[in-house]
Amino acid sequence: MRGPARRRRYKWWLAGAVLLVLAVAAWAIMWRPALPEQTPAAPTRFDSAQVTRGANLARLGMCAACHTADLAKPFAGGLALETPFGTVYSTNITPDTSTGIGAWSEEAFTRAMRKGVARDGSLLYPAFPYNHYTKLAQDDIAALYAFFMTRPALDAPARENRMTFPFGFRPLVGFWNLLYLDESPVRQDARQSAEWNRGAYVADALAHCTACHTPRTVLGGPDIRRQFDGGEAEDWYAPALNAKSPSPLPWTHAHLNDYLRTGIAPGHAVAAGPMQDVVMSLAQADPNDVRALATYIHGYLAQAPARATPATKPGSLPAPADNDADLARMRLGHETYVMACARCHDAGRTPTSGAALPLQQAVALYDPDPRSLIHIVREGIMPPDGEPGRWMPGYATMMNDDQLTALAAYLRRYGANAEPWEDLEDSVKKAKAP
Amino acid sequence: MTRYQLQVNGKPHEVDVDADTPLLYVLRNDLKLNGAKFGCGLGQCGSCTVTVDRQPVMSCLLPVSMVGGRAVRTVESGGTRWVPGAVLRQAFTEEQAAQCGYCIAGMIMRATALLDHVREPTDAQIRAWMQPNLCRCGTHMRILRAVRRAADALTAAPARKKR
Repeated sequence: MRGPARRRRYKWWLAGAVLLVLAVAAWAIMWRPALPEQTPAAPTRFDSAQVTRGANLARLGMCAACHTADLAKPFAGGLALETPFGTVYSTNITPDTSTGIGAWSEEAFTRAMRKGVARDGSLLYPAFPYNHYTKLAQDDIAALYAFFMTRPALDAPARENRMTFPFGFRPLVGFWNLLYLDESPVRQDARQSAEWNRGAYVADALAHCTACHTPRTVLGGPDIRRQFDGGEAEDWYAPALNAKSPSPLPWTHAHLNDYLRTGIAPGHAVAAGPMQDVVMSLAQADPNDVRALATYIHGYLAQAPARATPATKPGSLPAPADNDADLARMRLGHETYVMACARCHDAGRTPTSGAALPLQQAVALYDPDPRSLIHIVREGIMPPDGEPGRWMPGYATMMNDDQLTALAAYLRRYGANAEPWEDLEDSVKKAKAP
Repeated sequence: MTRYQLQVNGKPHEVDVDADTPLLYVLRNDLKLNGAKFGCGLGQCGSCTVTVDRQPVMSCLLPVSMVGGRAVRTVESGGTRWVPGAVLRQAFTEEQAAQCGYCIAGMIMRATALLDHVREPTDAQIRAWMQPNLCRCGTHMRILRAVRRAADALTAAPARKKR
């Protein structure tokens, strides 16, 4: 045979071999085997102390925040979570054999928690924060398994996700896992207290604080180099929890602890939006664990430098200055503030039951974007169904877009004394109706 | 005192009031429309509900200066073209949905806004929509049934089908 032909054939072989290797690698990244079904585990198999421990862990892990859409059907799933890649519905994690996880062995449950793989071998979307749960100690996973296997089994089939192309193809998540699934245990710091280290474990392996409070990359993974720099959740801004904290008053450990357990802390905004579910779960968790969480998070919040803000001397918000560059809008904003907000938020109200926060202290005014403020004004702050809590009426049907935009601009300027938000008009338009 | 022009139940009105007077006070004190009730004054109970540009609004919270030219509608309006008050009234009577009746004007206006926007609401939609309005007598279940009945009556009505 002549030389060039042989070389050509050699090239084909090489290309074929490379393709084969790539195909095998892709297969290895994207394919996971199904694990055998088990007959439903009898609830008596579990030790009651273990179940109780699992209940506490489930609260610290905020499982109910996503997996309970209807309070009458705990853990039956069905909650829609909108992501840049489509809408994902939470699934039924009660021990129902056909629609829940009743047929999952502890091994299958562990694999889902650690690797994000369902029993049938399909890859779960990282909307389920397994990149945090992967760091759990094995006996904690066992306790969670015991807890969920002893819940009442509910028949609730999963709702079809609505993913944008090509993300409906689940095996692609394998590549996400390659980039972002870090299975190393939570980093413990010997120089810190035992409580801090417990808090680090609770925050990272269970409460997954970074899932919302850390920005995400284009691929939807946590941008770990910017840990706690502030992120987003369901179109709310999730404030930074480190030196970049927008809070106008420094957080104390005691206030943070109160906030995490009740959603209310003196001089700080009331928990609203997705944080309400967090507080609802933490309120029922072991107070010592919540305290540890506060210790750990406060370690980061304490890095925030003391700033001179209007929050230290709350009072009536002033009328706009006559030389304000944006006078017409500021006047409308001020008028709207006086008419709608001042009755509760203005001076003369003492910080007793029912008093509203002086707006100079409201974190939403200091956020880098106006989304949270717009949501609060439009939708109000309602305690979750059947729960007690602070209450603010929503103004969506009372204010038009101009009034709301002007109000937000005015509060930003004269409440927080901060630079105007650039994307205010767009944000107001985009805010969804309640 | 400032002069405000308001559009209430399809008629123009002029009132001289302070800018921060709640719409509810203007309706009751100046326009003598006593259907909407003062309940909590905090936007928590819904007995003051009226519609503003077809949206339900707690009128105790809305200062008259923020109303502008928007169309205000109270229970005295007799409903809208598509949601006649008579239909709701009959449904509430048939279900015996009123006990003391204090919340009913607000309930009817909130239900009017729903039926104005959604032709055939599901039970879940009715329940979620009526959620902000409270009844201290505890006739919520009857009220939900009454709204259901009114919705069904409107769907069956021939005038509705032509739309």
